[in-house]
Amino acid sequence: MAEEILRIENLHVSVEGTLILKGVNLTIHRGEIHAIMGRNGAGKSTLANVVMGHPAYVITEGSIFYKGQPLEELAVFERARAGMFLSFQYPAVIPGVQVGTFLKKSVTSVRDEAPKGRAFRKELTSAMEQLSMDKSFLSRYVNDGFSGGEKKRLEILQMLLLKPHLALLDETDSGLDIDALRIVAKGINEVAVDSACLIITHYQRLLDLVKPDYVHAMINGTIVQTGGPELALELEDRGYDWLDVTA
Amino acid sequence: MIYQQMAIPPRSEHLWRYTPWPRIHPTVPTEVPIADAVIFSLEGAEAFEEVPSSESGVDDIARAFLQAAGGSSNRLFINEASEPIHINARASGHVAVGHLNLEVKGSAVVFIHISGEPEWVGLHITGKIHPNAQLCFGFINELDPNTKFLRCEDWLIERDAELEHATLSVGGFRCKSDLRSTLNGTGASIRQSVTINADGARHEDQHVEIHHLHGHTNSDLVMNSACAGSSHFIGTGLLTIAEGANKSDASQVFRNLLLSEKARAEAIPELEVLADDVSAAHGAASAPVDKEQMHYLMSRGLSPEESQAMIVNGFLLNAFSNLTNKFLIEEMRTRLTVHLECELKR
Repeated sequence: MAEEILRIENLHVSVEGTLILKGVNLTIHRGEIHAIMGRNGAGKSTLANVVMGHPAYVITEGSIFYKGQPLEELAVFERARAGMFLSFQYPAVIPGVQVGTFLKKSVTSVRDEAPKGRAFRKELTSAMEQLSMDKSFLSRYVNDGFSGGEKKRLEILQMLLLKPHLALLDETDSGLDIDALRIVAKGINEVAVDSACLIITHYQRLLDLVKPDYVHAMINGTIVQTGGPELALELEDRGYDWLDVTA
Repeated sequence: MIYQQMAIPPRSEHLWRYTPWPRIHPTVPTEVPIADAVIFSLEGAEAFEEVPSSESGVDDIARAFLQAAGGSSNRLFINEASEPIHINARASGHVAVGHLNLEVKGSAVVFIHISGEPEWVGLHITGKIHPNAQLCFGFINELDPNTKFLRCEDWLIERDAELEHATLSVGGFRCKSDLRSTLNGTGASIRQSVTINADGARHEDQHVEIHHLHGHTNSDLVMNSACAGSSHFIGTGLLTIAEGANKSDASQVFRNLLLSEKARAEAIPELEVLADDVSAAHGAASAPVDKEQMHYLMSRGLSPEESQAMIVNGFLLNAFSNLTNKFLIEEMRTRLTVHLECELKR
């Protein structure tokens, strides 16, 4: 069995006093791709955000383990430095901070050493070419004035550079046209080879390009059904009403 | 009117509400202390002309005081300058005063770096940008943290002339600036940015006036401040568009970032529009560091301190986003970045 990267046990999470997650159990090993699907408000993004340590989300019961260690002890930046990565559904805009400066600082923090100039430039150029990103991105301010697709590409660019052990992708496919989706999927597949990957999505189309090992259906804060890639097709075909009975 | 004949302006006046004249005067308002000269020195081939202090009447108490206090008086006439001109203004002694007049007929980039450790510094800069000329002007205040600083500027921008004006103020203990620009001909324009980084108990009051006297004139003001400790920043703007100055386009944006519970910031843009067909917009906002920005950067491995520093740095650099001259932007960005890096190490 491959190394266990993420284990979630009976997780209950509330936001501003409202219980959102109501007993989530999930284990992901290195090399596995898991997909979570569900209606709006089911708790999918909450799960990704609480794993990454967003301060607005409060764990009221249950535990999260990363590589066997309780995650609650780690601050957000320590989680990132330990190899966790969240591709945000709505990445923050940071006016005045150039993408190039930000990427270098982030890579330095996560790798715990400043990358060597020429080698880093080569690595960066290669990753940007892979994502069909123009070099002019580097002098733009982080997500400032970016289209939806540009924001998602920047998220994936960061993931390629940071090489996480756990990649959480929160609706990375939303707002992407089919060409951009193929490019982004290629980036995800590259990282997924050697990491644990949790994809949150509404649509089957990303899962045509990034083959999940497991698909989970989330209803009202709980995973109610787990299956293989065929579950995603069934959800796309039948919707979620048939699962309400199970929930 | 001369200084001694002037009444102390009441706090009900917009200009003197937050930093009354007695608080910025070097001693007591009835006195005009003997002032040392602010020494201006030039890097490059240009040369100053020493001129006698102006004795023209002014109706503003700060300008009248600086006139009465004397100090140095220099003039620089620029026909055309291919390289940026750097002027170092060095202040020393108890009270130091300097007057500088700039006149530009072609295009030029001019920086003034003021530094020194006197108890009080006063500076009056006047400038004229001739028709169709362009001046990019950067002012960098790196005075000692215990110095009180009074700065007045008066700019006359003639027909089709352009002024790009940037201020970076990171020095001084109590600073009051009164920057006035007059768009004195059709097609004249000004793009102005003010960047303030305040900490400790620093008090910084920036007043910016822009007067559109003619039609088809443009102005754009961005003022960003970051306030830490128990510092206090006041940004006031007065934008006037004269009767008949139609097709003028004016914008003022004030943004304050509050980095501690005790820090305070006021942003008060004012508009007086007497023309019918103009575009005039203003906005002001004061807020603490955005939690989502912090979370985003921390999720990329930056510590809370590094994340906040990056956000503040970006916020302040963003004040220069309305400028277009690469020399001006680069110099102001570099100075600010160096300052913030030094601050982070302290």
